[in-house]
Amino acid sequence: MITAYKILGKNAFEGFFGSLAQGREVYAPAQKSGKIVWAPMHSAADVDWRLDNTDMSPKEFFFPQSECLMRFKNAEGEGGRVMVPVAPLATQRVLLNIRPCDAKAFRLLDRIFVQDDMTNDPYWRDKREKTILIGQGCVNPCPECFCTSVGCGPFHEDGLDILLTDLGDRLLVKPISGKGLAMVKDLPEAAPGDIDLAGKIMAASEAAVKTYPGFEPKKLAGRTVLDIYDLPLWSSLYETCLNCGTCTFVCPTCHCFDIQDEVRGEAGRRVRNWDSCMQKLFTEHASGHNPRGEKRDRVRQRFMHKFTYIPMRRDGELGCVGCGRCVRFCPTNIDVREVVRRMGEDVEAKSK
Amino acid sequence: MNECIENTGFRPRIAAFFCNWCTYGGADLAGVNRLQYPADFRVVRLPCTGRMNPEFVLHAFRQGADGVWVSGCHPGDCHYIAGNMYARRRFTMLRELLEYAGLDPGRLHFSWISSAEAEKFQRTAKDVIEAVRALGPVDAATAATKTMVMELRKVI
Amino acid sequence: MKARTEKIREIAKRLLHEGKVDVVIGYARGTSPMREQPFFARTPEQADQLTWSSFCVGNTAKSLVQVARAGERAGVVAQGCASRNVVGLIVEKQVQRDKVVVIGVPCLGMVDFRKVEAQVARSEGRRVETVEEDGEELVVRGRGFEKRLKRKELLRDNCFTCQHRNPVLADELAAEPTAETGGGDIDKVAAPWEKFPAADRWARFRETFQDCIRCYACRDACPLCYCKTCFVDDARPQWLGKTQDMTDITSFHLMRAFHCAGRCTDCGACESACPQGLKMRRLTSKIEKDIRELYGYSAGMDVQAVPPMASFRPDDSDDFIKQGGEQ
Repeated sequence: MITAYKILGKNAFEGFFGSLAQGREVYAPAQKSGKIVWAPMHSAADVDWRLDNTDMSPKEFFFPQSECLMRFKNAEGEGGRVMVPVAPLATQRVLLNIRPCDAKAFRLLDRIFVQDDMTNDPYWRDKREKTILIGQGCVNPCPECFCTSVGCGPFHEDGLDILLTDLGDRLLVKPISGKGLAMVKDLPEAAPGDIDLAGKIMAASEAAVKTYPGFEPKKLAGRTVLDIYDLPLWSSLYETCLNCGTCTFVCPTCHCFDIQDEVRGEAGRRVRNWDSCMQKLFTEHASGHNPRGEKRDRVRQRFMHKFTYIPMRRDGELGCVGCGRCVRFCPTNIDVREVVRRMGEDVEAKSK
Repeated sequence: MNECIENTGFRPRIAAFFCNWCTYGGADLAGVNRLQYPADFRVVRLPCTGRMNPEFVLHAFRQGADGVWVSGCHPGDCHYIAGNMYARRRFTMLRELLEYAGLDPGRLHFSWISSAEAEKFQRTAKDVIEAVRALGPVDAATAATKTMVMELRKVI
Repeated sequence: MKARTEKIREIAKRLLHEGKVDVVIGYARGTSPMREQPFFARTPEQADQLTWSSFCVGNTAKSLVQVARAGERAGVVAQGCASRNVVGLIVEKQVQRDKVVVIGVPCLGMVDFRKVEAQVARSEGRRVETVEEDGEELVVRGRGFEKRLKRKELLRDNCFTCQHRNPVLADELAAEPTAETGGGDIDKVAAPWEKFPAADRWARFRETFQDCIRCYACRDACPLCYCKTCFVDDARPQWLGKTQDMTDITSFHLMRAFHCAGRCTDCGACESACPQGLKMRRLTSKIEKDIRELYGYSAGMDVQAVPPMASFRPDDSDDFIKQGGEQ
């Protein structure tokens, strides 16, 4: 199929925004006291095209940091034990100007939250099904970005419904999914010149990402758990780690959670909260035993999960999309790019 | 008999933390003497106010208390020599911090009452209850602005 | 900065070479702009990676506890605040004085990367790629721009009001002592909510902390937080809920701040570590101020000191304690 590129002048964006907002909530990156956050857009004028990626990933939209899964009550006699499911999402949503890396992260999480009949998370699925992702190609990658090292890229399309390329006064619109195509079918066709221009912007952006430090994940391909588990780097890497949860909480692909029942008297609710493999409590057993009791074990877990365990179970696909948030926000600057490079070097040295 | 009920019908829930060696005995003596006061607090007995973890205060508010009252031995009378003296500094800091963050001063009370001071216990109990009652119920549903105690309360 | 770096390396190499310490805890060049990383040098060769710049915003005393627990003798690169935390750790008996060598660095204040980003207009999509220090200026470059910024305007809030830039405890010095204060008046900015009526303070608290993501980076970056089990990790009983309810966020921050009473040196590691840029010093500065005013104590100034929360005076003020309507 030949992709029908469309063109949308920024002066005509108001009309397009109106059609997006028809029966939907529209969210996009916005500024808030020095941060870039996801915020509701009330009009086309609220949309800021210049912003780089948000500080926090948009996973909160599908996997809220705290999510009530159900309420329950244990009443005497009539009624007995009652469980009340939470209502599904009431509105459709649009995430506008989402970056390709974050959209790809959702594809990865889809394969974790929705695997088969047994593992089929209704909370995740409900919100995913009701959300349209309109991506903006990254023309201004950040110095922490390394998407091209992990099979992603500043104009990667996986997971998006529509991909926009900012051409200055107009946007090149590339419908990717059927949903996306339906939304833009009335827009005018793009001129070949615009498509060429977008191609140049894309190439420049990819080249820019490649000027930043990256790594070669191929060195880790096909390695077993035991190949990596005892590498020398683990014995020193952990030392400066604070074991805070920052990297996991800002990460678009980290998805571990902790379910708590909050009970008072005969009633309560079940809440699912983000949890972090960096924290000791995460793996602590009721007996007091902790299989990952040492900081070294926890640091190793995070990197092995993304670069060993997930690829083993997911046909080699890495558990990282290269958004660079963990690099940017780690209080002690533990750089995943450096870590994976060293994993590669160590494993090569070991197999010699 | 109970002026709280007669006035507004609102009966505050107050978490009271009493030292075993003094205020707890004072409350007992007040009972033996048939001294009357509103029964609006639930007592938690502590071995000493030195055992009072500031977290207890927050926990009480989280669990729905309208007020917290901590009472121990007069300075110099501690069964463990100086538990209450250390506690005093902790209470000073805690009270300063919570009021700084927005806690209504009428919700957190401290007193020194010995096991012989039944009447002082009665007077203080009435004082504390009246101070908390005067603030009215914590009503998240109708409040225009959110208060500290309202948001400390765990809603489940 | 370059001279400090050279001197730190020289001292560290000598200490390691002479076997006086097993490890030197300092900073190495970070991998991304405006970031330096804590670094453990265990050989004289590794000491060549040590560095000093305007972005050494962590607190090396944090790592000292872990090294001391492992039984190692450590050299610690420490500016004024970190040296005070080393003193605090000695006072609290977490570190033995004879097991630590303090490499003191008279400090010129550290730079807040968010202030740099604000000045180069991150809001317009400009991203800082390199920062070069040039005396009292920073040369900031990114794609399509270059700006010279005044260091003084970019200091972290706590560095601006710093009272002890020179190390209070140092076995070696990496530079000549510098002006002792950051120039700002701590009493003007400490406890900023005090000036608001009681009814408005909660709104300020809410506004300050509502974006907290409970990653606990503030706690984990704090050199005071060395408990083997933190109250937030207690599971039996569980003191703190795990949700994003205001009650759980609030309780965490209030208790964390409370635990700093009489111990906080206002080093700012908590704010620098926060991925959300929260200003937790609005809370801790109140406690620091109270301790100073009520008990005349500043943390980390004297290894012989008795911490104020572990002591008392018979005449401590207690006018808030009810007299029960004495008749």
